[in-house]
Amino acid sequence: MAIRTNEAVADRGGIVPVGARVRPRRASLALRREGRLAYALLTPTLLVILFLVAYPFFTAIVMSLQNKMVGSPGRWIGLANYAELFHDEVFLRTAWNSVVYTVVAVALKFVLGLTMALILDQERRFNNFFRTLLFVPWAVPIVIVSLNWRWIYDDLSGFLNNFLITFHLTSNIISWLSDPGLAMACVIAVVVWAGTPLYSMTFLAGLQAIPRELYEAAEIDGASIVQQFFYVTVPRLRTIFLTTVMLSTIWTATNLQFVLILTHGGPANRTEIFPHLAYTTALGARRLGMGAAVSLVFFPILAVLILLLTRRMLRPSDD
Amino acid sequence: MRTVSGGRRALKWIGNTLLALMLVWTLVPFYWMIATSLKKDKEIYGFEATLVPRQPTLQNYVRLFDKTPFVKYLRNSTIVAVGNTLASLAFATLGAYALARLRFRGRGLIARGLVFTYLVPPALLFIPLFAVMSALRLVDTHHGLVLTYLSFTVPFCTWLLMGYFRSVPIELEEAALVDGCTRLGSLFRVILPMSLPALAVVAFFAFTQSWNEFLYANVFVNSVEVRTVTTGLTLFIVEDVFFWGPMMGASFLSALPPLLLYLVFQRWVVKGLTLGGVKG
Amino acid sequence: MARMTRRQMLKTATVAAAATTSPWWLVKTSHAQRAKKIVFWHVPNFTPLADELQKQQVYEFAKQAGVKEGEVEYATVANEQFNAKLAAAIEAGNPPDVTRLYESNVQFYASGGHLLDVHDLVEKMRREPKGIFESAMASVLVKGRAMGVPLAVNPWPVHARMDLLEQAKLEYPKTWDEFIETSKKIQSPPRLFAFGMCLGPVEDTTDNVMNLLWCYGGKMVEADNKTVVMASKENEAGVKVIEAMFKTHKIIPPGALSWDNSGNNKAYQSKQAAFVMNPSSIYAYLDGNDKDLQKVTGLMPVPAGPKGTVNQIDTWAYGAFKKTPYPELAKGLLDYFMTPANYDRIIQSTGGRWVPVYKRLFDSPFWRERPAFQHFIKMAETGVPVSYAGSPTPAAGEVLNTHVIPKMIQRVLVDNWEAAKALDECHKRIVEIYARNARG
Repeated sequence: MAIRTNEAVADRGGIVPVGARVRPRRASLALRREGRLAYALLTPTLLVILFLVAYPFFTAIVMSLQNKMVGSPGRWIGLANYAELFHDEVFLRTAWNSVVYTVVAVALKFVLGLTMALILDQERRFNNFFRTLLFVPWAVPIVIVSLNWRWIYDDLSGFLNNFLITFHLTSNIISWLSDPGLAMACVIAVVVWAGTPLYSMTFLAGLQAIPRELYEAAEIDGASIVQQFFYVTVPRLRTIFLTTVMLSTIWTATNLQFVLILTHGGPANRTEIFPHLAYTTALGARRLGMGAAVSLVFFPILAVLILLLTRRMLRPSDD
Repeated sequence: MRTVSGGRRALKWIGNTLLALMLVWTLVPFYWMIATSLKKDKEIYGFEATLVPRQPTLQNYVRLFDKTPFVKYLRNSTIVAVGNTLASLAFATLGAYALARLRFRGRGLIARGLVFTYLVPPALLFIPLFAVMSALRLVDTHHGLVLTYLSFTVPFCTWLLMGYFRSVPIELEEAALVDGCTRLGSLFRVILPMSLPALAVVAFFAFTQSWNEFLYANVFVNSVEVRTVTTGLTLFIVEDVFFWGPMMGASFLSALPPLLLYLVFQRWVVKGLTLGGVKG
Repeated sequence: MARMTRRQMLKTATVAAAATTSPWWLVKTSHAQRAKKIVFWHVPNFTPLADELQKQQVYEFAKQAGVKEGEVEYATVANEQFNAKLAAAIEAGNPPDVTRLYESNVQFYASGGHLLDVHDLVEKMRREPKGIFESAMASVLVKGRAMGVPLAVNPWPVHARMDLLEQAKLEYPKTWDEFIETSKKIQSPPRLFAFGMCLGPVEDTTDNVMNLLWCYGGKMVEADNKTVVMASKENEAGVKVIEAMFKTHKIIPPGALSWDNSGNNKAYQSKQAAFVMNPSSIYAYLDGNDKDLQKVTGLMPVPAGPKGTVNQIDTWAYGAFKKTPYPELAKGLLDYFMTPANYDRIIQSTGGRWVPVYKRLFDSPFWRERPAFQHFIKMAETGVPVSYAGSPTPAAGEVLNTHVIPKMIQRVLVDNWEAAKALDECHKRIVEIYARNARG
């Protein structure tokens, strides 16, 4: 009969529940072995990250502290770039736009994605087929999605206006992307169209994992459908919710292609968001240093978000 | 199976309606893309623009295969996407196991670090990245692109698998270890076979992201032998003239591989993380 | 979970730091060994025929110079991606040998010390009978030396629907006031607007707006390339005219506010705009795609304002990069391209998209037999760059690329600011840009 103390298990290289107490002396041997194995397994990933991500990031920080232009060495100017930003009215407007854009887009994607996942979880014929169809937006590169929608929104040749006029739903053409009141909403609509499949796919996978017995038990206990949702479904999906929202927020906030192709930040800066500003600064004005500063300014906010969310998720007693 | 009560029937009805609406919302733009690819120029522009092509034509597709090396682009995209998918699976599986099951110093830091990598904006940092790739002679090569793409596929894949591995009951692994399995052995013999759905999602994500990637594919590749479909698409824009017909045709064709892949993989994906419910 | 000791943390941090910064060291010390003797970046010309011809010429030159086919790298770079790719290549230390450069890019890269001096080549071009359009020199001259080889001079005429004018029994308007009146008579919104003026946050808007302002006596900067004069009464008058066109007379389609550089092209090509100010890319497109419309298209001079008529030109040039290990081959290639016989073949194959920089070539039947081009030669001679009255300096390039002027006009048309207030803000922005570029 094997001795199943934590130490004994650990000594054999077995798995001890994370967070369990292990007496120090014997634990250190097991820990060291685990540590070495862990780093061996993580080395390929770490190499990729260090060379391809950390290095460019490091250069970005350096550049943001210089007045670096394309093709010329940079001169150190400390925080001058950042100071210039905070006095720039366009930048402040961009910051506000970025927040609105990200929050609204992520919220809509969440709601639509969850709704679709719940619906696809129901039983019906051809469900597999419907799932594939709802997946289409993700199969198309963002560049093409944006170009296509640019065309759809077009004043005179676009699908929307054509449709509305043909079916007599309006007599005037609507300038979707030129109207300062509509432009942001139109861009967000495209972002949501393109991004919802990620949510519905991951949520659906999570929903399918919830055993039916739990719902049946709840129903026997007298829970209504809504109550079942909140007491059975939501707790099980919490990790997936957090992971998806966290990653999607980052991806949404830092993507510039939608704005670049749909509106170039117009009309009158109504849809200017910070990744687009960084891009036009870095490549249009060829001010790499300033472009880097614009990109890095939002880093702290997103970093705090990540730290808060991952704290929950990395706790040992999760799931 | 859910018992069908009155409330549930209403729910089903609502569900079907919403589903129909979502399908329309999702598919109309796709329809527009396909319709444009089947139209002659005259029907694409101006007030002669039609909702349904009146004189559908395949000339845009013919032109695509005739006048451009589209087939080569497809081949290159496939090589890069498949290469990246396999590499992502390998890297992410090993890394996720370490993060999910092993105790070691720096675990939290590394896990968080993976998420932080997404804060680095490619739209700016392709420049120093290009310098690195150039120095390593990886520019204009398939493996160069595969390597570059790993930088944005591996973190997400690792996180996804990490969460999944943690939900595999420990008892199963312990049983294997007691039977004399090594750690890695238990990974391959116990955990992976139970993780096929998550692996499918990972493969699918890596493939789609690589297939659709645009910025690096454009900047890091010059020769036609390595050029991918996404770059090929932008070549239909010449200065201030857009050749919409062939561009939409190419877009439609390039959307098919990911869709077909999803059709195949999604059976695995939604078979479900049933482990959560199975208690030994 | 055990916590790290300070020593372990230090060790880890050092390793991570070393790994992170090692690529920097790698980049600095690697010397790209090039197997290729000629690296040419080709930006699609517009017509497949011109692209083919250009490729042929590169390989012809290579053969002539004793360079094997395998030693030539001919890369096609989409226009959209060109700036990004070139920036990355320069930062990585391996730019192409020869490529096309637009307007102020020549001065930008020259001022960074990246381009070869090609003054002798340009002098050779000037010695041709009838010489070249001197207006092209503004963008390639840096401190008196030509750092790029001017390749094409593109006037920005007004593409005009002569058939609509004929129908309404009207003459092409000679002044902007007449233009507005004529517009109101020939348009039938929303299907057809008269003036397809680009107003989106893109480069074409700067071109269109400035062109009109010049006719009212306004300009961006003085010839000394230092004194910014954006906030002037003349500019204000011009801006007010644009405002009236958009808001009062309604001769500009409202959607123009979100056009990209192809918006005005599309508008004209699909018969939704009657007058569009654009280089002849529209005309060349019609050559291959809508000969009927092309027949009734006139390439007309810009109407006059109280201070006369001024028209714009922009210049394309070839640049050779200093980094090339084979500068003689690079310059030889440029020489080959610009040999009048070779050059003319390409010019003609672009269907009128590029105006030849050699004046003599304008006498060829290709130009003479198309009445549409009758005004071109005068426009090419007297045209001014968008940076008028200054020359295409890097500062001017930055103003163009960061869409300072479109933002100004959108303040007026979207935010409903007073013209003077918008111009003030614009002026400050441009002053700051010029100052920063002067500091270097």
